[in-house]
Amino acid sequence: MISRTKMYGLGALAAAGALTLAACGGSSSPGSSNSSSSASYNEGLTAVVNPSTTASNGTLTFDLSNTPDSTDPQNTYYAFMWDFVRLYTMQLMTYKSCPGACGTQLVPDLATAPGTVSDNGLVWTYHIKPNVKFENGQTVTSEDIKYGVERTYAKSVLPNGPTYYQVLLQDPTYPGPYVDRAKNVMGLTSVTTPNSTTIQFHLQHPFSDFNYVVAISQSTPVQPSWDTGQYGGANYQLHPESTGPYKFQSYTLNKTLTLVKNPYWNAATDPEAKQLVNKIVVNMNVNQSQIDNNVVSGYADIDMGGVGVQTAAVRDKILTNPTYHANADDALSGFLRFAYLNEKVIPNVHCREAIEYAANKTTIQDAWGGPVVGGAIASTVMPPTVNGYQSFDLYNALSQPSGDIAAAKTQLKLCGKPSGFTTGLAYRTDRPQEVAAAQALQASLATVGIKAQLDGYLSGKYYTDFAGVPAYVHSHDLGIDMGGWGADWPDGYGFLDELSNGNTIAPAGNTNISEINDPSINSLFSTAANDTNAAARLAIWPQIDKKIMAQAAILPMVYQKVLLYRNPVVTNVYVDSYYGMYNYAVLGLKK
Amino acid sequence: MAAPLDVSAAQTGVPPEAAAQGMGGRKIEGRSLGQIAWMRLKRDKVAIGSAIFVIFLILVAIFGPFLVQNPDIYHANLINSTLQSPNGAFGGISLAHPFGVEPGTGRDVLARVVIGARISLIIAFLATALAVIIGVFFGLIAGYFGGWIDTLIARTMDVFLAFPLLVFAIALVGVIPTTSFGLSGNTLRVTILIFIIGFFSWPYMGRIIRGQVLSLREREFVDAARSLGARGPYILIRELLPNLVGPILVYSTLLIPTNILFEAALSYLGVGIIPPTPSWGEMLSNAVSTGFYYIDPMYMIIPGLAIFLTVMAFNLFGDGLRDALDPKSR
Repeated sequence: MISRTKMYGLGALAAAGALTLAACGGSSSPGSSNSSSSASYNEGLTAVVNPSTTASNGTLTFDLSNTPDSTDPQNTYYAFMWDFVRLYTMQLMTYKSCPGACGTQLVPDLATAPGTVSDNGLVWTYHIKPNVKFENGQTVTSEDIKYGVERTYAKSVLPNGPTYYQVLLQDPTYPGPYVDRAKNVMGLTSVTTPNSTTIQFHLQHPFSDFNYVVAISQSTPVQPSWDTGQYGGANYQLHPESTGPYKFQSYTLNKTLTLVKNPYWNAATDPEAKQLVNKIVVNMNVNQSQIDNNVVSGYADIDMGGVGVQTAAVRDKILTNPTYHANADDALSGFLRFAYLNEKVIPNVHCREAIEYAANKTTIQDAWGGPVVGGAIASTVMPPTVNGYQSFDLYNALSQPSGDIAAAKTQLKLCGKPSGFTTGLAYRTDRPQEVAAAQALQASLATVGIKAQLDGYLSGKYYTDFAGVPAYVHSHDLGIDMGGWGADWPDGYGFLDELSNGNTIAPAGNTNISEINDPSINSLFSTAANDTNAAARLAIWPQIDKKIMAQAAILPMVYQKVLLYRNPVVTNVYVDSYYGMYNYAVLGLKK
Repeated sequence: MAAPLDVSAAQTGVPPEAAAQGMGGRKIEGRSLGQIAWMRLKRDKVAIGSAIFVIFLILVAIFGPFLVQNPDIYHANLINSTLQSPNGAFGGISLAHPFGVEPGTGRDVLARVVIGARISLIIAFLATALAVIIGVFFGLIAGYFGGWIDTLIARTMDVFLAFPLLVFAIALVGVIPTTSFGLSGNTLRVTILIFIIGFFSWPYMGRIIRGQVLSLREREFVDAARSLGARGPYILIRELLPNLVGPILVYSTLLIPTNILFEAALSYLGVGIIPPTPSWGEMLSNAVSTGFYYIDPMYMIIPGLAIFLTVMAFNLFGDGLRDALDPKSR
């Protein structure tokens, strides 16, 4: 269930980057790139760049190389949309708007406080602020939040969003409000609203990470009366009802979106967002190289996709010219690039450890794009932006980045194959960097006699038909399978569960491709799910991480980094470490 | 139109230029058409130059891989770790790496181009051979027998020509398992590429042969053979085929460059050779898909130039050959 669609975005952008270098153009606001700025490289990682509270009459321009899966808060799974929807919606919980590690903290948004859970761990209760208004002036009630949750069940109408409520809540077969409406409005029995400011979620099993679930854009309130007619159902995305600082003025589907100030928004009830500009314009389907040029030359303010500068020429300009360099941030995206080492195909742990030692992390890092645009060499499964990350280095990835050949040979002897062995290496042919990384891994394994045979697949079927099908992996001897992973929420559960929980091994669409099914790891996951003590849970995640690495089931390659560029006229810019991109909810403009 | 090559010049009448050649004080002697063609070809400097280049290329493809360094060695020290581009001007060209190194990896470009030449040429030659065999076979049958056989084969060729070839090739490479027909890895991939390319280029050859046969079969020497009691197979093989050597040679040399480009296109689309084995198309594709050509143009220019020169050499040689064998068809 947890796969951030950012990775789909990356594939698409790599293709877009291959297109011709276009001149700046399109409908864009005239920005000025030469305004004096005291900002410095990577400043946005740890501090707010150009902090400001003054409102501007200007227009903030986002460029986007593709289109959102939907602008409907209940129907989106794109990381950049989860960031962007906070400009026009509020959720029960949200992430604190602040730079650095503090950005992964959960804070109440519509709720007055984090949820409280019943003693049996099954009922989560939230009280909501009584005075939050929709854009039509009406007050947000708990029924509106319940209706929003009900909409996530209508998969035939709104197919894109995650399915956490269906998986976690009782009444999993609820058909959604569009089927249900004729009989009885508000038919979902597992969400109750004792009064207009209280909402309760009834779970099937205890799930102590539930606050993270209601921080996803799907807990946005929706008035049933708005979700009809012109803006009903699938068309709700043309004008979602705003509870945030801005509201839709016009939206030409998948082309141009214009947001204007929402007069009913109150800064006091929504401290995590700001209303500092007059208008926000999103230009969609803009060629990526044009976006990169637009942002650097000031014709657009932010590349909304948040995947960083993709055009090599622009990247070069930013990295070599001090003027541009000062306006860039090299941010961790929260994504891990790695290889699964399948425990069924390579059953001997020493053979897998030999792979861990022999891999040349430097050439692999170069294949991903190098230390700046590729990522930092990884030695753990969880990236540093995840709550519960602990640094450790079992296989000398950091101390001997070009591979510990001696240790690898020792492990091969222990494995009983001193001269090496042969295994398949699955990768996705339509991702140039993954192709390069697979080759770099292959070349470094060859130095100790491990022969990795490259086996390429198209990414569309990679999880559904090939690497994600254990039977296929076994029959084709795919001991090494390239992968990428980002979490839906920044803690160990969100990051590790689908990779290493034995219960998640599926006959197709499997994401635990290593087929880790270790009773001690499984029991740690169930302990964590039942434990409502946040500190105790936080101590569990590094234990799981270390267990995965100790059995050499995952070969971490890089913590992905993206080179983000901020137009110097934009104020209040910083990297939100949860999204791995700029925090869109607080941006302003210099006059 | 061309007459049998083994028929002496006296029988067909000596072309004036050949006669003029013979008058340089030496005894006039009969020359075969083959000799005449060779004489014409020798005078065509461009064709000879192209032929020399083609021979050089074939030698490189055969012996080059034993002479160059290992193409899969990474040289991280030759790469700027921040920008990923090669250190030094023109893609890191140096004595040790005369064509520079690959951005991002530091692998030697010369070694990769040379080994890529072998892959590209093997695929192009064998695919052409396959296309020629199928095309000549069906062209002969269609042209000679005519009637419903001709209609059937000609329409089949039309269908093949109208086929969205690239789409089919991508789909086929996608669905064939990594181990099939007792082959695996690059052997299988090269075989599939040869099969696909050959199987889809035969109609060009088939149509030309069919047209030639249609006119040849009405000629007197065919009638003569037939009146002496020769049957279909004999006439096809002993009477018609020798007359087709000229066009077959010419169109083969013109098909080879097309097939080189087709292999490059398939590799460019990611359904070509499995990395790390280089091919020219794969190198070009890599330069474009990673965007490195913006900052390191040499990485794209070198394999691009290799394809360009090879295709041009084959084309010019084919043109020269055609002019020499059949000067009237200009």
